[in-house]
Amino acid sequence: MSGRDDRRASDPLDLEAPPGQARPLDADEDEGQSPHGGLAADPQGRGRDDSEKLDQYLLRRYHLHGDRKAREQLITMYLPLVRSLARRYASRGEHFDDLVQVGAIGLIKAIDRFDLSRGVELTTYATPNIVGEIKRYFRDKGWSVRVPRGLQELNIRLNKVIDELVPKLQRSPTINELAVAANATPEEVLEALETSQAYNSVSLQASPNGESGEEDAGLIDYLGGEEEAYDTMEDRTTLAPGFAKLDKRERYILHLRFFEGLTQSQIAERVGISQMHVSRLIRRSLEKLREEIGDLDRPATTRPPGSSTTDK
Amino acid sequence: MAERIVLEVPATLDALSTVRMILGGLSAHLDFSLEALDELQLASDSLFEAALNDEELKSFSVEMLLEDGDLSVAAGSFHSPGLRARVGATPGGCIDLCVLLRRLLDDVYLEERDREFRVVMVKRGHGSAP
Repeated sequence: MSGRDDRRASDPLDLEAPPGQARPLDADEDEGQSPHGGLAADPQGRGRDDSEKLDQYLLRRYHLHGDRKAREQLITMYLPLVRSLARRYASRGEHFDDLVQVGAIGLIKAIDRFDLSRGVELTTYATPNIVGEIKRYFRDKGWSVRVPRGLQELNIRLNKVIDELVPKLQRSPTINELAVAANATPEEVLEALETSQAYNSVSLQASPNGESGEEDAGLIDYLGGEEEAYDTMEDRTTLAPGFAKLDKRERYILHLRFFEGLTQSQIAERVGISQMHVSRLIRRSLEKLREEIGDLDRPATTRPPGSSTTDK
Repeated sequence: MAERIVLEVPATLDALSTVRMILGGLSAHLDFSLEALDELQLASDSLFEAALNDEELKSFSVEMLLEDGDLSVAAGSFHSPGLRARVGATPGGCIDLCVLLRRLLDDVYLEERDREFRVVMVKRGHGSAP
């Protein structure tokens, strides 16, 4: 008996008897269905269990038998999920249909990479893949070019002002202090910071003050001295899901913030970059983690509801 | 005297920007430091993104309470056992939602309402500039 036959023999599902006849959903059928693709109860009245069995059946057909039609059927079945997720990003200046196309690529990758032995549902696995693909699309489009010039200029001014104020005040400045120093209103400061947060992408080759320029040393250079110390504790943090996808410096900064409990200012001082830059690096690293593992959590155990979770 | 602000925001990622801006305004009012504001915003972003993934919501409510120099942000109502478990999880060896919230906030807890719950995030006044 071949390996394929072995697998088929141990398959708890009867591959020749699909649990419900799949029918491609029309484009309009996602309306009113769940954000996760309306699989709880489909228009044919299949229950969630049936849909899951159908998923498993089709996934096995594709992965164990190379059945391309099963793959196409899965793609069609999960397009409502793609549309639902794409809709969340539809008001950001990109055409909804384009986002659906991009999300569909994430779906196809999820179907192709799905590991039958993991025992997870395709919805669970596909969602972060689809969202990740859409986010990558936005990132690659370079949002920063659409930030109004006035806000860009204020943002650059704020970076300089923060760099000046932190050593002077010996603490992180307040919004009002920033507004006075940057000759702007607190509302303008908040808007500039928000724009920066939403659109800025940080390169490890960018200068520590957030500006580009070949004459500036990159963050890599600033972190060089920390490498040896970091090696000693890296084993611990690399156990964390998704960490392998981060580079060493990103892991290091996340480790300092979330395992060592250093504040952003303390990290900035240790590493030799600005607090704003630390903030951006943390956000970017967490975003990469989310894209890699789907979400920032895999709880080990739970506490009783209503109990405080902080020990500060 | 306590000030209370309640928002009903659509369950979309874009709406998080609105929440962040209002948190910014309130943090400016309380004279929180830029770093305290940044961490509060990161905590709320992380919670809301997790909620958007876990919950099937059209909108959710965000109640902000300013009292004695502290800012409490109660978000909900949520239903999913997954989100409940995440917020209430015992911190493990990875950067999960509960670790993020614990590190970024002064307090975080669940507030039960029948079968629903809200997540309350607290940033205390000591996060403000002296």
